[in-house]
Amino acid sequence: MLKLSLFGKIMVYILLAVYCLVILVPFFMMILNSLKSMRDIFMKPFSFPTKVLYDNYTKAWNQAGIGTGYKNSAFVAGVSVIGILIVSSMFAYAISKYEFKGRRFLFVYSMLGLAFPARLAIIPIFILLRNLTLTNSLFGLILIYTSVNIPFSVFLLKNFIDGVPNELSEAARIDGATPMQIYWKVVLPLVKPALSIVAIVSFVNVWNDFFFPLIFINDKSKATITLAVSIFFGEYSNQWPLLFSGLTLAIAPTIILFLLFSRQFITGMTQGAIK
Amino acid sequence: MSIKLRYLLVFIIPAMLLYTVFIIYPLFDSLILSFFSWPGVGSRTFVGFKNFQTLFTGSYAKELFNAFLHNVYFFLLLILLELGLGFLIALMLASKIKGAGVFRVITYIPNMIPLVLVGFMWGLFLNPQVGLVNQLLKLVGLGGLAQPWLGLENTALTTIILVNVWRNLGFYVLVILAAILDISPDLIEAAYIDGANNWKITWRIIFPLTFSTFRTLAILLFIWSFNIFDTVYALTGVQAGPYRSTDVLGTLFYRTAFGGLGSGAVDMGLGASVTVFIFMIVMPVSILYVYLVEKRQRSA
Repeated sequence: MLKLSLFGKIMVYILLAVYCLVILVPFFMMILNSLKSMRDIFMKPFSFPTKVLYDNYTKAWNQAGIGTGYKNSAFVAGVSVIGILIVSSMFAYAISKYEFKGRRFLFVYSMLGLAFPARLAIIPIFILLRNLTLTNSLFGLILIYTSVNIPFSVFLLKNFIDGVPNELSEAARIDGATPMQIYWKVVLPLVKPALSIVAIVSFVNVWNDFFFPLIFINDKSKATITLAVSIFFGEYSNQWPLLFSGLTLAIAPTIILFLLFSRQFITGMTQGAIK
Repeated sequence: MSIKLRYLLVFIIPAMLLYTVFIIYPLFDSLILSFFSWPGVGSRTFVGFKNFQTLFTGSYAKELFNAFLHNVYFFLLLILLELGLGFLIALMLASKIKGAGVFRVITYIPNMIPLVLVGFMWGLFLNPQVGLVNQLLKLVGLGGLAQPWLGLENTALTTIILVNVWRNLGFYVLVILAAILDISPDLIEAAYIDGANNWKITWRIIFPLTFSTFRTLAILLFIWSFNIFDTVYALTGVQAGPYRSTDVLGTLFYRTAFGGLGSGAVDMGLGASVTVFIFMIVMPVSILYVYLVEKRQRSA
């Protein structure tokens, strides 16, 4: 792309390095301070701990209910992702590969959710879940998250399924395969990359959400990780070392996941919102 | 291909049922609820346009307008910072430099953290007495600049916006970068041969060819700007202090529908009318967005 002079290159490196520092230093400071005593944090915020207190992590883990938070978030996110993959891929397959009346309408209809944030519907959703006795329940959250993620997943999967040559499914049909078999044995295996993108992106969306648990969950034993940390910050607002270590624990899983699958994340997040 | 109706229904119904019951129907029900008064239990009382009167001309008018302006400010500053800085950083990453891949990954890390936790983290860093931001300013001899960033009416909102930018910028960088890398290198090569400099190439070739991406991002930013909640909640709470100087429609909605210390009587109908107000603001833009998405699908 753009060609730079030597001076230009040096400037670009300096600017990018500054930007990276702005991103990374806060994380570093969070971890550094998570290992200190209160006194150390206040007196020597930028230096290494006089004594490394690994114990902060044990305390934060127990008092913030990080373990329960992980477990609840992983359960909710895991089940939601499975639900999202199944219903969205079936729907995307039908509107991509078959011609029928109302197909364009269905596509536009399913896109409305991209344009109107579900938060605007929070009160009726709350009432709905209460009528189903699914407030304060992880299953209620799963239903909402599965529904919320349908538009984006359908959109991404449809794009990919459109790219599967029609000759393949035609050939399978002539060989006597039912639509279900074509979907399961021909199309799905060919769009595995798209499925993994949807899985990763929606997992992170669900894991990171705060608004729905804030409204729907009022029992600590059912708190997701974001809600658990938020309650912890309310109750232990003066225990800075524990706040830092609790935050580190809460943030770690998604960051590690991201570093492992950064390529899929980046394609998924950028394509999902834009294309 | 054609398909038998019963097969078609098997594929379509699960997604459409969930989506209609839990997203589309509640969106409509919000609209209906905004004409009722309802404390959350018992029966609803039809009140006509009374909720909207309360919002626009009654006791909530000042708060609503105040919050609305903050959302607008949010949007304008985000457009400037996320798209401006995003373009600049994307251009740098698109030039032939070594290690662009590593930079790309680092750029995106903050996006992986839940917004609300980003808020809590910066809340600690921005603490007026012992927070790292002020300590750092003192350390480098700029102690005079140290101030209670979230405690002053004229800095709190901007500070919250900057925290948002810190978290989200990577997303904009990578989306714009992807659009830039889509441009055929031959085109830029040819411009160099014709004697164009980097400035000209940026504004005459790269910017026009990535314009549709900027347009989409601006649309999304608009929709998201009117749904801000998590960062404000984490940094200044649902009371959106000091003195509502960080209040946005999201926090105003939360107080009217679900309460919070010091808020007036909770009314779900009034809360719903706040969401209808937000809905009305984003609707034209949302329709434009769906239209553009659909158009691109048909031409693809």
